[in-house]
Amino acid sequence: MAFLELSGVRKIFPNASSAAVESFDLAVERGEFISFLGPSGCGKTTTLRMVAGFETPTAGSILMDGRDITTVRPNQRSIGMVFQSYALFPNMTVAGNIGFGMSVAHMPKDEIQQRVREMLALIKLEALGSRYPYQLSGGQQQRVALARALAIRPQLLLLDEPLSALDAKIRVALRTEIRAIQRQLGITTIYVTHDQEEALSLSDRVVVMNQGVVEQVGAPFEIYNFPKTAFVASFVGTLNVVDATVVDPNTGALEVAGQRIYALPPLAGRSAGQTVKLALRPELFSPDSTGLHDENCLTGTVENVIFLGAVVRIHLRVGETLLLMDEFNNPNLSVPALGATIHLYFQRENCLLLVQ
Amino acid sequence: MHKGTGMKRFSWFAWLWFMIGAVYFIIPLWGTFVFSLQKQRGVLSFAAYQSAFADPNFWESFLFSNLMALLTIMASLLLIVPTAYWVRLRLPRLRPVVEFITLLPFVIPPIVLVFGFLKSYSQPFTLFGIPLFPSLTSNTLLTNFLLVMGYTVLALPYMYRAVDNGLRAMDVATLTEAAQSLGAGWGTILWRVIMPNLRSALLSGALLTFAIVVGELAIATFLARPAFGPYLALLGNHRAYEPAALAIVSFGLTWLAMGLINLVTRGTQAESIVTGAH
Repeated sequence: MAFLELSGVRKIFPNASSAAVESFDLAVERGEFISFLGPSGCGKTTTLRMVAGFETPTAGSILMDGRDITTVRPNQRSIGMVFQSYALFPNMTVAGNIGFGMSVAHMPKDEIQQRVREMLALIKLEALGSRYPYQLSGGQQQRVALARALAIRPQLLLLDEPLSALDAKIRVALRTEIRAIQRQLGITTIYVTHDQEEALSLSDRVVVMNQGVVEQVGAPFEIYNFPKTAFVASFVGTLNVVDATVVDPNTGALEVAGQRIYALPPLAGRSAGQTVKLALRPELFSPDSTGLHDENCLTGTVENVIFLGAVVRIHLRVGETLLLMDEFNNPNLSVPALGATIHLYFQRENCLLLVQ
Repeated sequence: MHKGTGMKRFSWFAWLWFMIGAVYFIIPLWGTFVFSLQKQRGVLSFAAYQSAFADPNFWESFLFSNLMALLTIMASLLLIVPTAYWVRLRLPRLRPVVEFITLLPFVIPPIVLVFGFLKSYSQPFTLFGIPLFPSLTSNTLLTNFLLVMGYTVLALPYMYRAVDNGLRAMDVATLTEAAQSLGAGWGTILWRVIMPNLRSALLSGALLTFAIVVGELAIATFLARPAFGPYLALLGNHRAYEPAALAIVSFGLTWLAMGLINLVTRGTQAESIVTGAH
């Protein structure tokens, strides 16, 4: 039995025309790190708030460690939460903030002090226990918020876009720290983010959401490489989603802008003449200057070349379709000229048909 | 250069108006002060102050009003802090209604209010013949209770606005949720998270309430309680210099209160600026 189970969870806010969350099912194993990923308004934070107890589901149930917590009050759930805006208590010192949950639970003072010291060591802020939140940087405040949530030894840790208010460098450093602490403590964690890089780099599994519905649940590798829907394909990473016409489902033959390509056969459930959505990752293309490949080679005109540091992105016009191709930067890379005609090669297995 | 000169000119203009305002305010005050020193013919002395302070009725009414002010502050806090907090957290749509109710004391004069009180509460309150509570003017304790309730109504606009502004300055919803996730119940949240962060707002509201209660005349007079306001009015009918002396003392107390508000709020403002820098 999973540690946390959400079954058929649905949430409709009063006076709303559609559900914020619809038919949400998820089983989270003990110690797992799960991310809810999606654009603003997709229902990820609402789902998290239902797990925390700040919202009550309109339908469905939430079970934690076998106990139905669907209607249990938030202060009786043993769930730690970290907020985007830190939410540290301004009137309390760092130590006071970390010890708050324990003092609410009437723990002995010496035990509280001991635990506060442990937590300060965990977040590497031993020297700042007597400071007030306004005397800390954003990154330090969020570390304290994490320590405060963990100090009460919660069964589950929820993080609601905890790094969104921080600048890029601190964000990367802190997310590595969060993952290390999570692994060290083995605590089951749900992390809400709209940043795909964060979700992919941190999580054991990612739940991609769109318009209140779960689009796909899977390991980061699976989500990135094998997106099941057009939404996941377009939201996670950069992807070429092109319209293709099925020529022969048995051989995997397709046509893009009048050029023949092949996907892995057979194309189950497709028929000849049908238009399908095809996903192709820009980094899985390679230029074919010698014309060695006689299949899966698309010819087009270079429209733009963008230097992105580690990667050079080439915009290629193939008929009506615009394709993006990424090449890793190196000092000897020969970049095609604008207007030049080039050939792109890709392998059959990199050609992904999306569920529409 | 031009910008600097412009700013300097603007500053002089502002100072001019400030000086006019200050003179308009200070001259009568200075006049009252000088008058209060003229009890003895041809000599400036504090005789009026000595005479006022020597009157046992002064101390009795002053201490009574101070006690009533403290009780009013407590009653106001008990009524308004949870109300304003709940309205901001859960019932934001009710805010205009609550604001309207808190503004009623500006529209309804205290004299009307106290007549309403006397009409409603001077008889035992019964429901279907069952007595629920006795006449609130039947003994001193209950009349004092009625007086505190009247003062609480008068203080509503000031206390509510002070508390509401204080709540607006913090993220009430997130702080509440953070405290809840750490196991805190409503009482703990209000007492340990919300109230301490409303420190300067509560102090402002409390000091304004104090000033209103100590100077209030109508309610205390019609409820026949020995408060400072009626004492001052009575003194003004019979003496010349003592009321002026006590007016100066009242001003001194009010300024002391305002100074305290400034002192407490200054620290909070500095904190906000530092927090904003992050």
